Amino acid sequence: MIKKALILLAIVFVAAACSSSDEGPGTTNDNFDRTALLTNLADNIIVPALENFQTKLSDLDVARGNFINDINESNLNLLSDAWLEAYKAWQHIEMFNIGEAETQGGSAKGFVVFFNIYPVTVSEIENGAASGVYDLNSANYHDAQGFPALDFLIHGVAVSDTNPIEKFTTNANAIGYIDYMTNVQSQMNSKFSAIINDWQNTYRDIFVANLASSSTGSFSKIVNDFVFYYEAGLRRNKVGIPAGNFSNMPLPEKVEAFYKKDVSKILALEAMNAVVDFFNGRSFDNSTNGEGFANYLDYLERSELKTAIIDQFNTARQKIEVLDNNFYQQVNTDNTKMTEAYDALQMAVVLLKVDMMGAFQVSLDPGYQDNDGD
Amino acid sequence: MKKIALSLLVIGSVLTSCSSDDDNGASEPQVVAPTTYQFERDGNSTVSFSGQTTRIAMGEEFVNALKDDSYTESQLDGMFAHVDGASDFANADLNASDKSIRSKVAASKDYYSANTTEANAIKSQFDTWISDQVTDVFPNWNNTASAGTAGQLQQAGGGSIRYINAKGFEINQLVAKGLIGSLMTDQILNNYLSPAVLDEASNITNNNNDVVEDGKSYTTMEHKWDEAFGYLYGAEADPTMPSLDADSFLSEYMDRVDSDEDFTGIAQTVFDAFKLGRAAIVAKNYTIRDEQAEIIKENISKVLAVRGVYYLQRGKSILAEGDMASAFHQLSEGFGFVYSLQFTRVPGTTTPYFSKSEVDAFMAQVSAGNGLWDVTAETIDSISNAIADRFDFTVEQTVN
Repeated sequence: MIKKALILLAIVFVAAACSSSDEGPGTTNDNFDRTALLTNLADNIIVPALENFQTKLSDLDVARGNFINDINESNLNLLSDAWLEAYKAWQHIEMFNIGEAETQGGSAKGFVVFFNIYPVTVSEIENGAASGVYDLNSANYHDAQGFPALDFLIHGVAVSDTNPIEKFTTNANAIGYIDYMTNVQSQMNSKFSAIINDWQNTYRDIFVANLASSSTGSFSKIVNDFVFYYEAGLRRNKVGIPAGNFSNMPLPEKVEAFYKKDVSKILALEAMNAVVDFFNGRSFDNSTNGEGFANYLDYLERSELKTAIIDQFNTARQKIEVLDNNFYQQVNTDNTKMTEAYDALQMAVVLLKVDMMGAFQVSLDPGYQDNDGD
Repeated sequence: MKKIALSLLVIGSVLTSCSSDDDNGASEPQVVAPTTYQFERDGNSTVSFSGQTTRIAMGEEFVNALKDDSYTESQLDGMFAHVDGASDFANADLNASDKSIRSKVAASKDYYSANTTEANAIKSQFDTWISDQVTDVFPNWNNTASAGTAGQLQQAGGGSIRYINAKGFEINQLVAKGLIGSLMTDQILNNYLSPAVLDEASNITNNNNDVVEDGKSYTTMEHKWDEAFGYLYGAEADPTMPSLDADSFLSEYMDRVDSDEDFTGIAQTVFDAFKLGRAAIVAKNYTIRDEQAEIIKENISKVLAVRGVYYLQRGKSILAEGDMASAFHQLSEGFGFVYSLQFTRVPGTTTPYFSKSEVDAFMAQVSAGNGLWDVTAETIDSISNAIADRFDFTVEQTVN
């Protein structure tokens, strides 16, 4: 009898204690000045990075024009140099899948489908050069355009050729290859000008003004874009897939810039820099640290998390720095170093995707979660 | 009587749930487990674990093939790392599956998502075992084994013939028992029962609002829990009321340990925890869910440890009798379980009972020189004691 009463008492007590707790997550925001944050991101990082890319894309177009006007090894090398500079500049903008960039392409991948889907499907380029029939706006050709397509055109050897330049000289479809390259460049030019025009004319103000705390607000979207780019664009595509972390065996032929070969590390480190600077709110011209995720975490009294993220980024960078310039080579000779880089990158995913997003009260966009299909 | 015990248990759980700080605050709903593992929504079963059943079936064919010297290395590799559509198995349904064993070896979220380097080393260990079986053991199938030479040995009294490598190990046993840890145990304990998987993305919100997966009757969280369930009970004729010993992996050895009177009841404890935890998901009570997960982690870990020590001790006794074939068979099973200890989980922690380096040290210790041909009773006892000491049982209790 006494026991029974005690249990009842305990239940009542517990119920009272439990009902007095506070509200669940996601319903309120702190008072951090998100306008200042979005303004810094837009004016000092995103738009300058886009403008830098615009310059490099234009240089690439010039180098392409020079090459086509006078096809020789020297001009091909200059074209290769311009391609690499533009590819490096691209690493700083791939994460900004927002605004016009997001609506392009008709999928969650947004504008990336016109710039950096790899590995490239060479047969589509070869068939396109031979037949003249292809549609770069069709999803079938997402893996046959952008930087990976130019990589093949500039550095790869077509079937029946012995060196890259023959595509444009002795190959029976030389005119077709020249046209294909021109069309790829035009596609990049036109897709990108729509994006940068939008930012420069209207989207910058829309971006800064959209303070909604829901998943459609600018802050939620840019956090999602940032974390997704880190997890997929950097960790998975550049390192994890070639290292075999998503397959039974390593897939070295799936590295970024497979045909140029010796620039995978340059591109990965460039992406790493873009991630770290964006996290720190560091201006694109590298002159100042402004409002960013880092000092937002300080404001939330989560400096320990900020430090943990920065430390993990540094560890990941160190693991990338010891890799061969050529990741294809690295996977084939010592894949353990590659998986160690992946593991270091993955450690930060947890900090960003669970801890940081939790601190910011931002949830994952629908469609973000990847399912391994069990 | 049973009902009273159960309801008392629930009250106890509620008490602990609220004494710990939780973010939601609202008093959590009571949970009553059903008698069988049956859960429905709108009249349709919400329980599904076909991928687990498939992998268990693949495992059965694979470990049997390791004992047949007509198989080539590439055939065995194909069974281990099946790709959709390849004719790797006798069972056509398995060939048509997109599942593979290898992709889920050392692949849990908690242990390996940020440690693919170690995961690759473990997967490579299995690749090496397959390769050694084909290149060292199969060619010596009809030769008599001796220290330093692979071949066959027959157990005393016209018993079974055992096929061993140059160090006395039955490689097929290392693989079979190694899979119990690296596949079943790791997936259950460190993947599907982990909050990192159960609560991933919007799983809690969706489960709270009964948002089911596209075209399915279950929420993602319910399904993840069932996938854990499936790695233990996936081969049962009637998984709602398991009878155990339904496969030659975890199901069989859960049954064996439970039949030792020192451990009787462990199977019921684990099944009850699966049931109550699943009911807790339906009731949206994640505190009780996680408590059940801890019970499962503790007890499945224990099954591997008890069975490992049991085989080591059996091997030691038979070694003293001089029946090498039988002793090596026992010891090979035992060290397969020892290898699997790196996939166990100490409840309430993020770590296994034995780390990979500790397990590797045990394996190196018994593989030194001529391996099992040289192993001493002292070595076997020291490893047995080290394992029992870290769990709550004695070496003596495992011997029956």
